[in-house]
Amino acid sequence: MREITDFDAIVIGSGISGGWAAKELTERGLKTLVLEAGGPVDPQTDYVEHVQPWQMPFRGMGDRKKIVADYPIQRECYACDEVGHKFFVKDKENPYTTPDDAPFRFFRGRQVGGRSITWGRQVYRWSDLDFEANAKDGHGNDWPIRYQDLAPWYSHVERFIGICGAKEGLSQLPDGEFLPAMPMTVVEQDARPKILKAFSGERVMTIGRAAILTKNHNGRLACHYCGPCERGCITHSYFTSLGSTLPAAQASGRLTLRPHSVVAEVLYDPTTTRARGVRVVDSNTMQDIEFTARVVFLCASTIESVRLLLNSRSSAFPEGLANSSGLLGRYVMDHHYGSGASGAVRGFTDRRTTGRRPNGIYIARFRNVKSQHPDFLRGYGMQGGSGRGGWGRGGSMPGYGPAFKQSLIEDLGPWSLSASGWGETLPHADNRITLDPTVKDKWGVPAAHIDVRWRDNEKAMDKDMQTAMAEMLDAAGCSDIRQHGSNNPPGHCIHEMGGARMSKTRETGVLNGNNQAWDVMNLFVTDGACMASCACQNPSITYMAITARAAKYAVDAMKRNEL
Amino acid sequence: MHVPKLLFEATLNPFPDTFRERNRRHMERRDMLKALGAAGALALVPGEAAAAWARVARGLRPIVGLTEAQLALVSAVADTIIPRTDTPGAVDVNVGAFVDIIVSENYGEAERTSFTAGLDAIDADAKANGGVGVVGLALSARGAVIERIEAASDRRTEPQRTYWRLKGLVVHGYFTSERVMKEVLKVQVIPGEYSGDAPHQPKSAPSGQGARSHA
Repeated sequence: MREITDFDAIVIGSGISGGWAAKELTERGLKTLVLEAGGPVDPQTDYVEHVQPWQMPFRGMGDRKKIVADYPIQRECYACDEVGHKFFVKDKENPYTTPDDAPFRFFRGRQVGGRSITWGRQVYRWSDLDFEANAKDGHGNDWPIRYQDLAPWYSHVERFIGICGAKEGLSQLPDGEFLPAMPMTVVEQDARPKILKAFSGERVMTIGRAAILTKNHNGRLACHYCGPCERGCITHSYFTSLGSTLPAAQASGRLTLRPHSVVAEVLYDPTTTRARGVRVVDSNTMQDIEFTARVVFLCASTIESVRLLLNSRSSAFPEGLANSSGLLGRYVMDHHYGSGASGAVRGFTDRRTTGRRPNGIYIARFRNVKSQHPDFLRGYGMQGGSGRGGWGRGGSMPGYGPAFKQSLIEDLGPWSLSASGWGETLPHADNRITLDPTVKDKWGVPAAHIDVRWRDNEKAMDKDMQTAMAEMLDAAGCSDIRQHGSNNPPGHCIHEMGGARMSKTRETGVLNGNNQAWDVMNLFVTDGACMASCACQNPSITYMAITARAAKYAVDAMKRNEL
Repeated sequence: MHVPKLLFEATLNPFPDTFRERNRRHMERRDMLKALGAAGALALVPGEAAAAWARVARGLRPIVGLTEAQLALVSAVADTIIPRTDTPGAVDVNVGAFVDIIVSENYGEAERTSFTAGLDAIDADAKANGGVGVVGLALSARGAVIERIEAASDRRTEPQRTYWRLKGLVVHGYFTSERVMKEVLKVQVIPGEYSGDAPHQPKSAPSGQGARSHA
């Protein structure tokens, strides 16, 4: 039997964006091939969220020799731990380069489900404060879309995947289609009104909005609060493409999913001026295979999608496919994050949490919403939480003997409350991805060369995150307030965006308002590469909404015989 | 050209039935959670650590681990920090072997050398102050050694540096042991629900050694 190589649509990538492209395209009638560079994942045997520390040889401290050897970069991600490193790439097989003075962390997961298995699950809609920001302050280009273009698609996505949260009625952080919110801790409940009052209602601390089910939804079970979502979830209670969109695509009967398929280039036909298909390196056989389709959706993740376009060269596009603007690879962003403050909370010693809430609190953006801050443009949201130390505080706590032991078992320790900022980065032309001239990955694809740097606006915002959070903790009545600055290099937040931005005109970007390449009508890029600015919200829900919207546009255009 | 075997069915094994059938099958949440508990223990076998644990299980030591004297020191300190009471002590759950494994298999060579030298510094400190090493001291005298080291505000010079690293390992090794997680902490792997405001009544702590730790 010969493998079928011609389809209506090809989707490159099976993660958050690729899964949505697969679901929407198949449900709208297209025979769709999803190509995934990594291998299959079987939740029954591969997910490890219920493995307890005593079942791990290093009790959760990690098999460091192995992790240092195989995951020297990936290990800096919190989720790349003793049992979770299997969901990250091996660095040697997947090289990338940076200038010596511009470190960048590129955390990747190549497997069916992509990084949707390990993602942070926080979901926040963008607003017109975000879509209009570039036009208003002149950094970057104007977005070709506004909130009203995306709002119905946010709803479409949220209703399907199930997200929990509390409605707040904030213009800068629109409410969504929420399942019941997870509870705040008693300490968070106490702090919220105090912070509201101290800052004239402008600083709103709400429970995190998360793609985690608080009740059974669409055939998936409610969260059972075991804790470490990033290791997988046997009940599919948080959203993964593997447990949600891909099964829906499969149910359509029109999905073919092909793991171990490293896409090396998108093939361009100069006579039709369309993408003809893709060249794949089968990672098992190392042989090239071509697949063809009427439409190609590039959902390989920001840097991978840009790298793939840069590597798709032809006489028509010597500098990379769909790059007549010369802007492919430019205006790359990530959130600068991690600066904030923590404080000790007096009292509440007779209260505790039970179960492990895989979610925290969120403080909606309050800077540059109503008035302009003197030191920086744009703004940040803050994420954090509260808790008691439990036995974990014992390693640095003085004492010994029966009382020390009893204290660690019974007392839980004082409450603490903390949060850190996730800040918007300005789009900058020199924050750029190119192809490394010599380094190639295991499959012969040129490595990305990533040159992205924090600049003055980000640094000024980082300072404000610390002082603003300290003020809020003070208002909440905390003591022993400590500010913390972040040294995280770009990429560390894993919110990389841009490089093939959407634009109003073909000269100012790579994609039009429907994520369609200006130069290649049947090529769509719907992952983070399409973003023209990065706002401060966690971006995945926006990728999902943009992908679903672009898929409908593509199918409608095919029906009109435009594609 | 061959058709690769790893197409959809093999990949999405969690759904051997179709998605639609799965939607119809409303499994009782209770039953699901029960089943999960049974399936919770998954085999994880990094080679070197597994081999090291196997040696410990046979009464042998990791190849590049602590010396007998260092292990005795570690166990003596661990037993003083977390003694047996109505619940197991550090020695009962083999915290010494855990420290041995971490030092042997997890630490790099420079770290290991620095740690073992630090252990010797702890012992030298005891000898300088009481004439005997930690292992030879009575329980109360061991406590005095710990109090003296913990009273030093600089935790980055020896012997404090290694002492605090060791204390961290002792606490971690004790509370992540199977017996302590199951019998003492009674950790629920699958709580099933979450509360951010549940009652908590600590038992009154016994008086005696180390009571100042409540400060």
